[in-house]
Amino acid sequence: MDLAQLTADLDALRGRASGAAASAPDTAALDVIELDVLGKKGELTAILRGIGALPAEDRPRVGAIANEVRIAVEGAIGSARAQLGGAELAARLTAETVDVTTPGRPLRRGSLHPIVETARKIADVFAQFGFVVYEGPEVEDDVTNFQMLNIPPDHPARDLWDTLYLDMDGRLLRTHTSPGQIRVMHKEKPPIRALLPGRCFRYEAVDASHASEFFQVEGLMIDEGTSMADLKGLLDQFAHAMFGAGRATRFRPGYYPFTEPSVAFDILCVICNGDKCPACSRTGWMTILGAGMVHPVVLRYGGIDPERYQGFAFGMGVERIANLRHAVGDLRQYMEDDLRFLGAFR
Amino acid sequence: MRVPLSWLAEFVDLDLTPEQLAERLTLLGMEVKGIERWGADWNSVVTGQLLTVEKHPRADRLSLTTVTLGDGSEPLSIVCGATNIAPGQRIPVALPGAVLPGNRRIERAEKMGVVSNGMLCSGTELNLTADSDGILILPSDTPLGVPLADLFGDVVLDVDVKPNRGDALSILGLAREVAAATRQQVRQPAIHVEEGSGPSTAERLAVDVQDAALCTRFVGRWVSGVKVGPSPDHIQMRLLAAGQRPISNVVDASNYVMLELGKPIHTFDAASVHAGPDGRPTIVVRRAHEGEQHETLDHVVRTLSAETLLIADAEGPLGIAGVMGGANSEVTDATTDIVVESAIFDAVSIRRTAQRLALRSEASSRFEKGQETRLARLGADRTAQLLHEWAGGIIAKGSIDTAPVEPERSRVAFRPARINKLLGTDLTTGDLRALLGRVGVETEQADAGERVVVALKPDVLTVDPGAEPALAALVPTWRRDIAIEADVAEEVARVRGYELVPSVTPDTAMPVFRPSPLEVRNLVRETLAGVGLTEVVTTALVSPKHIETFVFQRDVPSLGDEDQPGGEPIGVGNPLSRDHSVLRRNLLGSVLDVVGVNLRHGTPDVAVFEIGKGYARTGTTPREWWRIGFALTGSMEPAAWNRAARPADIDDAKGIIELLAHRLGFGRPTYETEANEPLLHPGRAARAVVDGKLHAIVGELHQSVVDAWELRTQGRVIVAEVALAGLAEGALAPERAASVGRFPEVERDLAVVTDNAVTSADVETAIRASAGSLLLDVRLFDIYRGTPLAANEKSLAFRVRLGADRTLTEAEVDAVRAAIVSALAASGWRLRA
Repeated sequence: MDLAQLTADLDALRGRASGAAASAPDTAALDVIELDVLGKKGELTAILRGIGALPAEDRPRVGAIANEVRIAVEGAIGSARAQLGGAELAARLTAETVDVTTPGRPLRRGSLHPIVETARKIADVFAQFGFVVYEGPEVEDDVTNFQMLNIPPDHPARDLWDTLYLDMDGRLLRTHTSPGQIRVMHKEKPPIRALLPGRCFRYEAVDASHASEFFQVEGLMIDEGTSMADLKGLLDQFAHAMFGAGRATRFRPGYYPFTEPSVAFDILCVICNGDKCPACSRTGWMTILGAGMVHPVVLRYGGIDPERYQGFAFGMGVERIANLRHAVGDLRQYMEDDLRFLGAFR
Repeated sequence: MRVPLSWLAEFVDLDLTPEQLAERLTLLGMEVKGIERWGADWNSVVTGQLLTVEKHPRADRLSLTTVTLGDGSEPLSIVCGATNIAPGQRIPVALPGAVLPGNRRIERAEKMGVVSNGMLCSGTELNLTADSDGILILPSDTPLGVPLADLFGDVVLDVDVKPNRGDALSILGLAREVAAATRQQVRQPAIHVEEGSGPSTAERLAVDVQDAALCTRFVGRWVSGVKVGPSPDHIQMRLLAAGQRPISNVVDASNYVMLELGKPIHTFDAASVHAGPDGRPTIVVRRAHEGEQHETLDHVVRTLSAETLLIADAEGPLGIAGVMGGANSEVTDATTDIVVESAIFDAVSIRRTAQRLALRSEASSRFEKGQETRLARLGADRTAQLLHEWAGGIIAKGSIDTAPVEPERSRVAFRPARINKLLGTDLTTGDLRALLGRVGVETEQADAGERVVVALKPDVLTVDPGAEPALAALVPTWRRDIAIEADVAEEVARVRGYELVPSVTPDTAMPVFRPSPLEVRNLVRETLAGVGLTEVVTTALVSPKHIETFVFQRDVPSLGDEDQPGGEPIGVGNPLSRDHSVLRRNLLGSVLDVVGVNLRHGTPDVAVFEIGKGYARTGTTPREWWRIGFALTGSMEPAAWNRAARPADIDDAKGIIELLAHRLGFGRPTYETEANEPLLHPGRAARAVVDGKLHAIVGELHQSVVDAWELRTQGRVIVAEVALAGLAEGALAPERAASVGRFPEVERDLAVVTDNAVTSADVETAIRASAGSLLLDVRLFDIYRGTPLAANEKSLAFRVRLGADRTLTEAEVDAVRAAIVSALAASGWRLRA
């Protein structure tokens, strides 16, 4: 092998390989060319293997030419690859097109019960005003559920709470969350701002607006100067939070043995806004809770001096609030737990 | 209390519309629950008279009547289903085209082959009385052919009188409230007793009150020569409008006085009162003997207890005091002489008796709220007067009065400054006095040293006002609800109206911080809802069958210092129904009921949870504990166009428990087989435990329970009952950040071949025990059964993660692996080749 022959072979290889690269149909063909020409067992390698037979003074020159050929072939393959690769990617992306208008993969959707959530929302509102949550037992005794709340045995006011008595002496299922007032007073010293959510029970035939099990939230605030004006201000804030800013409210006299004075708290009817509709018994108002100034007798049973301290309590039915907020007409739905009903809630 | 305005107007001027009046009363604390237009919906209802009443030829239960409207026109033939009708009676007739209350349209109609030209009306159909037993029979002198509304139209307010205001359970009492609201004076009823000649009441009758504690006053009057018959027309209608069915002039008189003055009255046939020791008919007021029997007016024989107060004579009971008269002393058509009883009984005694006998009546409900002493006299006089006017009775001279002293007004001292402090107002003393004056509460300067009553219980608490100005309220005798200073505040507020109370946000000291006891529960709720479970709320009261079915052989123990489950169930003594008569002991049955309801409603995929309480007792000590119950059935991943449904299985439930444990920072639970829980599939039930933090039973519901509870599913039902530390009142502790290692971790996989009976937990425990301090985590990633393993073998593939605060050497890793392998070998397990 002489120099001229070797140089001619390299030239020929350059021409052939560049031509093949330029006319390759796809990138796979380029891979073949690359391997055939530039690979360890490729033609260029084979040609260079002949360098050893050349005189020493010719070797650098052949090496330089071989390098040029390598760069030229690599360039040809590279530019062909760039061209073919772009087209192939475009073809792949086109082939991968899906119908993006189909619905997504459904995730199981859970929800939170509207009564528990409403109670939480109520607690959140009062938490802004410093009210902290306490809970009491549902199996109560007559003394705490009634007597310490100024409802002695055989008091006619007991008719306001049809009671489920237990097969245990003196025990009953709490008829309201109010006994929690006594429990908080026994636990804490004023200033007290307490909120007591929980399950209550009544001997009450179940219909669209009555349940034998239901949830209440009780509030209690006691300090040296806590007055009915504070109660009114707080409940106004509550009404605005739950039923929209500016919702008109009113106090009217009510009766509970454990508050004196006692009031009922009304909001302007959420259905007719005061135009007097069947939903508000044509009064324009809806009662959402009962409240009043804690009766001195209750303060004393709670171990608090009624000459030094005064305060208010309020109690509301969670179902009532939820009914108005979520337009629920039949409160049996809350405990029937039909998923088609519950699924409407977050 | 039903208040016909025509009656109310006798005592006070009514210049307001009924709606305005209702609002005023409501804002005064006498809530008007409804306004009834008495007669407004009697369009085309006129008075008629029955000419003939014959049996319907084709229907035994129907009558064929002819009715005249008295205008000479052809009598109407009308078919009627009532049995209380007879020729000559005057009745309301709804003519074709009438629309009765409840939008009931009356048309000419054929009934079993006979044309009916309208309808004869019952009291219920007209909303005139609550009596639906038959056709409303009108007074015999009712004019014919007249629109009913012209005769009997009125407006009736339904007033909700609170239990502390027994004084307002009367037309007169509510007139006082109207007067206060409209700044008028009440016209008192004109009570005058025109006594006849002849023997006096005292000569004819004796009264022996043997229990003066239970009968503090008894006023008796004797009225002779009465003619028992119907009451005057307008009285009957007035009683009807007030909700009281007319009976006879004598009975109506006592009912009238009860409604008008609020004083329950009883009238006896004087002939039924036997003579006492001195020969006079003698009424004895005494307690019943234990077990004594007495037939009451409703012809039920009652067995009495020694607590029952009786009106009796020498021979035996004549009636149950304050509750119901006796059949033996009932006024009948033959009665000529009447004994009027107007007494004051102990409120508690009457309430107990009425409750024990289940005989709550208009009378007992007034007695149990306490009666003004004065009313005994007024009631007796008023009744005697009405018996004279309506029944021609002659009133014997004088009365018997066992306690003729009538108490003065009571004094309640109060501090105006305290009233303002309580209400948040700044009313002047003059304001206060004027407001109280409107409800008849006069005021004067408190006496020197007069103490203010702050509370009456547990004992009387009074304070010396000292230098603080004080007034004394002179409380009218009928107002038994004003006894302490706070009562005066209420009276001021309600008369003034609550709009005077300003609305301010509290600016007093805040309480110290207290974490919410709901924090853990809320995190659990959010977590479970986030993985697709729906929160439910069910009743705590369940059926005995429920309680018997859903008992765990080994309960889920409470964690922390919560009450433990176990012990006896708590039952309700007076349940509404058997279905809600016992407090549940766990949530399993509750969530399964929800599954059942939804399956029946055609919802096949149910994934629900409840956070609620279990209840039980040990002896007399009740216990309550919080649990999470959840149930899964149907598909956990619902089918979609691009995916098949995947049914729920126990691994879903375990995954949920693991997620809860993770979110609460408890770490991973360990599982153990639970094969001895009959409620669950013996081969698919487990307990999940994180020591001291979490304990759960989780598994597939046993097929026998699915069948017994009639759960309409072909698939499996997965349930869990979970106890968590902090569920009762825990706060969430802050999480500890994980130290993310700067050095590479090393993973080694080990496929361990064991007998089928060996559990994954067994192998994992062995790996953890032998891996040493470099172990970070062990996780099962595959289970293989089949060739080349033997039939009773399986291969459990675990990935072991190792690491430390340095780069581990190959030798260290190999040493750990070798230690594990030798520990596995010691248990008889080998690595899969």
